[in-house]
Amino acid sequence: MSAVVSPIREPLVRGHKTYHQITEDICAPTERTPGLAWVLAFTVAVAFLALYVFAVAWTVWFGIGTWDLNRTIGWGWDITNFVWWIGIGHAGTLISAILLLFRQKWRTGVNRAAEAMTIFAVVCAGQFPLIHMGRLWLGFFVFPYPNTRGPLWVNFNSPLLWDVFAISTYFTVSLLFWYTGLVPDLATLRDRSKGLRRKLYDMFSFSWTGAAKHWQRWEYLSLVLAGLATPLVLSVHTIVSFDFATSVIPGWHTTIFPPYFVAGAVFSGFAMVQSLMIIARKVLNLKDYITIEHIESMNKVILVTGTVVGVAYLTELYIAWYSGYIYEQFAFYNRVFGPYYWSYIGMMACNVLSPQIFWVKKFRRNIFLTFLLSIFINIGMWFERFVIIATTLARDFLPSSWSYYSPTWVEISLFLGSLGLFFTLFLLFTRLAPVVAIAEIKHILKSAGDQYTGPEATHKHEAH
Amino acid sequence: MNSETKRILFGLYDDDEQVLDAVRKAKSDHLDIMDVYSPFPVHGMDEALGLKESRLHIAGFIYGALGTLTAFGFMTWVFTRDWPIIFGGKPYWSVPAFIPITFELTVLFAAVGMTVTFYAVSRLWPGAGNPILHPRITDDKFCIAFDTTTCDEGEISRLKNFFEATGASLVETKEVSEEA
Amino acid sequence: MNQFEFTSRQKRTFFIMMGIGLVSMLLTYFMDDHYKHLRFWTNYLHNTVFFAGLAFISTFIIAAFVTAWAGWYVLMKRIWEAFSLFLLPAIILFIPLIVGLWLGWHQLYIWNDPDVVAHDEVLQGKAGLLNRGWYTFGTLLIMGLWYLFAKKMRDLSLEEERNGAGPDFAYHRKLRVWAAAFLPIAGFLSVPLITLWDMSLEPHWYSTLYFWYTGASWFVSAMAVTVLLLFYLRSKGYFPHITDEHIHDLGKYVFAFTIFWAYLWFDQFMLIWYANVGEETAYFKLRRDFYPVLFYANIFVNFALPFLILMRNSTKRKVGTMVLVAIVVVLGHWVDFFLMIKPGPLMEAQHLAGEHATAGFVPGFTLPGLLELGTFTGFLGLFGYFVFKKLTEAPLEPANDPYLEESLHHHA
Repeated sequence: MSAVVSPIREPLVRGHKTYHQITEDICAPTERTPGLAWVLAFTVAVAFLALYVFAVAWTVWFGIGTWDLNRTIGWGWDITNFVWWIGIGHAGTLISAILLLFRQKWRTGVNRAAEAMTIFAVVCAGQFPLIHMGRLWLGFFVFPYPNTRGPLWVNFNSPLLWDVFAISTYFTVSLLFWYTGLVPDLATLRDRSKGLRRKLYDMFSFSWTGAAKHWQRWEYLSLVLAGLATPLVLSVHTIVSFDFATSVIPGWHTTIFPPYFVAGAVFSGFAMVQSLMIIARKVLNLKDYITIEHIESMNKVILVTGTVVGVAYLTELYIAWYSGYIYEQFAFYNRVFGPYYWSYIGMMACNVLSPQIFWVKKFRRNIFLTFLLSIFINIGMWFERFVIIATTLARDFLPSSWSYYSPTWVEISLFLGSLGLFFTLFLLFTRLAPVVAIAEIKHILKSAGDQYTGPEATHKHEAH
Repeated sequence: MNSETKRILFGLYDDDEQVLDAVRKAKSDHLDIMDVYSPFPVHGMDEALGLKESRLHIAGFIYGALGTLTAFGFMTWVFTRDWPIIFGGKPYWSVPAFIPITFELTVLFAAVGMTVTFYAVSRLWPGAGNPILHPRITDDKFCIAFDTTTCDEGEISRLKNFFEATGASLVETKEVSEEA
Repeated sequence: MNQFEFTSRQKRTFFIMMGIGLVSMLLTYFMDDHYKHLRFWTNYLHNTVFFAGLAFISTFIIAAFVTAWAGWYVLMKRIWEAFSLFLLPAIILFIPLIVGLWLGWHQLYIWNDPDVVAHDEVLQGKAGLLNRGWYTFGTLLIMGLWYLFAKKMRDLSLEEERNGAGPDFAYHRKLRVWAAAFLPIAGFLSVPLITLWDMSLEPHWYSTLYFWYTGASWFVSAMAVTVLLLFYLRSKGYFPHITDEHIHDLGKYVFAFTIFWAYLWFDQFMLIWYANVGEETAYFKLRRDFYPVLFYANIFVNFALPFLILMRNSTKRKVGTMVLVAIVVVLGHWVDFFLMIKPGPLMEAQHLAGEHATAGFVPGFTLPGLLELGTFTGFLGLFGYFVFKKLTEAPLEPANDPYLEESLHHHA
């Protein structure tokens, strides 16, 4: 092996694992009967999913009037939820693609789960614009297809349509990337099972054999898909930000929105990965693969992106002052001191201030604190979207149309229900497929296992 | 479609560096390796086996270019010929507004095209029924396989000696049927 | 050969370059006295900002790579250290601009003209930031602070070189703290500085993305300059351990940040174009209508060309192609800054003189002329001289960096 690793690096696989041990450890959760924790969690998740179905049915049956949206505030929790979920759906591709290109090896422990999470988050996100359209069954109108109305095409100049293309492309490419990575690991599961289970896994693993030529092409494909996914993941939240920034609404129309939305998305995505992985590593007994080093690295990314978001918040305030444009100035005055001042405080406290504790190494490596903070950030990032959407709309150019908005039970149920959808999918995933990428962990074992590197190393490699 | 039976002689190794040395030795001994199987991509295997560089990226480029042309051409046609719309006082042919969708379709075409090509040329799809030589190959064993359908005893024993010399932990023969 | 020797021939070349620069600047000053020698002063500002930015962004690059635990770059870190120390001469380069602001030598910034401000409500609103005091102390203090970090990181790196890695990599661990602390400082403080230097040249215009856009332009330029310098030094037999793999990685950075730059360019342009708010479109309308050649060339040279050439992996490893691309990119981003800096003051000056700006050709503004290129040559000579001088102060390839082995065995 030609991998030379600096002695200053910490090992990423603990417990002196052998290749076989890795297989055993990671396959185990899919092969045993689910424990009580899983069953309980799944029951709760499905209950919330039922609530979701009910709330969607209610909305469709009685109409959007059951929400508290009004003529001034036409976007509320629905679009907030949409942007929030899409943001969370950025971490997986980011971890897998950008960190792959930047050679951050620690990505290997968490990439599989993060990618799965991405896909489920995008599934949740995609629902909200459709529900908001009211007539769900006409959702396909958003695609350009020859029709009997002229044909009247969709408006390709509208950022809302760009969203349709961005999100469907992102979903498709993430799915391909994730599944292609999963195929060899599904073959591992196949070769450990019998009967129907074996037949099913053979089908889902596309009859993978592990031939050298296949691996060569597979690595190649992963790399190119990573290369494609990197600008893609940037483009998705960029285009979501265009929904706001192409308008002339003060507080929405600002040029920093695209990269700032992307940074925020990475931030919230990592927070959600932290929340999930901290539980998963314990429940699924994967502490040797998702180590404290992984958690610390992710906390660093959280600190960096939290601060980037902070720079963006302050730049916005600063330019609002600098612009000398009274409407712009009022929009930001209103954000900080207006009727929704509490959501601005929540956003600032959760997103900018709270991650600053991660400057201290001890806190970065504290699991409980990390978990708590990851929840804070999820809340803070939800507030951010709410601040951008509701606060801005509540104070129109015309004071006579100023308004206030608070959600009805239907909107709250839709949000809580979408969490149910997300967790149902994620919990199923932990039972059906390996949560950690088996082949990739084996691939880095000799450069990142604790018997090869770090203070406890027993096998030292000669560099050649 | 007629089914053919192949007789395959394979050996399993316990370590990736060991199998890499074995492959190098086989190459220098001019043994005709059918294939090498491993639980993960072994670094340096491509060169050792003398595999040609994959041409997937060329396919990817073509698919991507196709996506660019499709998106840009279609939007141009719609807004200059079929159903022009003025929005925000902009010209019909508003290039900046076409860029997001053009980009998305470029990526979509390239990614989908390449992935489909990969599975198709690798003969991997649900029900492809590729032979699995040993269940531990996707776990922790590294396998070198020879096609011995037409080999005589002398050649087979030469191969067995090779496995012994390079430290294979298990050597077996397996008959697989392959659709030709 | 690990000790760099600054030959007298190289020194002579740099002095000739500086001479060309000096002559060009003098000629510019005396040949063109329109609007208080505006052509000279804009050229001076343009190059000062460009090279100060290279130094700043190199400090940022070191800080970012150390924080990200990158290993591959270690062999070439001396180059960025040398670039980063140029912050000190850059501060001195700003002195004439600052003094000129107080003594009325130039009219680069119309917010410095009390008569204009007295009749302009918008400028009165901004006077809290756009004034001589902030320009002076902002520039000196913030750049001084950045230099402090650049110097501290360089010192730690040299101590590590002299004394060994230290118990449990003490020097490197200390370096990590300084590097991490620099990142937010760079992020927050670059905003007011870029406002004062560049954005306030057209003080009625504003864009929140402008700061990151400027940073991206510097980043690509710094990477391209690094490629050129590395190829030159390698051709002289230095950096024996830097292989095609390292060059390949630098090529990836040029490629990736070329895309990132284009992404930011597009975001800024498209959003302003789409929303069509008069205050904002003024910036692009001025450039598109009066500077069409540079406006379109900017996108072509800084995006389309490097993107298409560097898309293939093999081109990132070919000396000829990489040198070509790097030269194109450095000049391209120099022109990008030209386009950011030059049109504003000219328009304001014409406006002030009661003239109508027209799409006619204005020497030294519509297109960079020989005097502009001469000025650039002079600044490049100064930068090169300083960097080579700094390279002599330490072994080129560091010996005790904890990631050295990774860099020596790097595979792109």
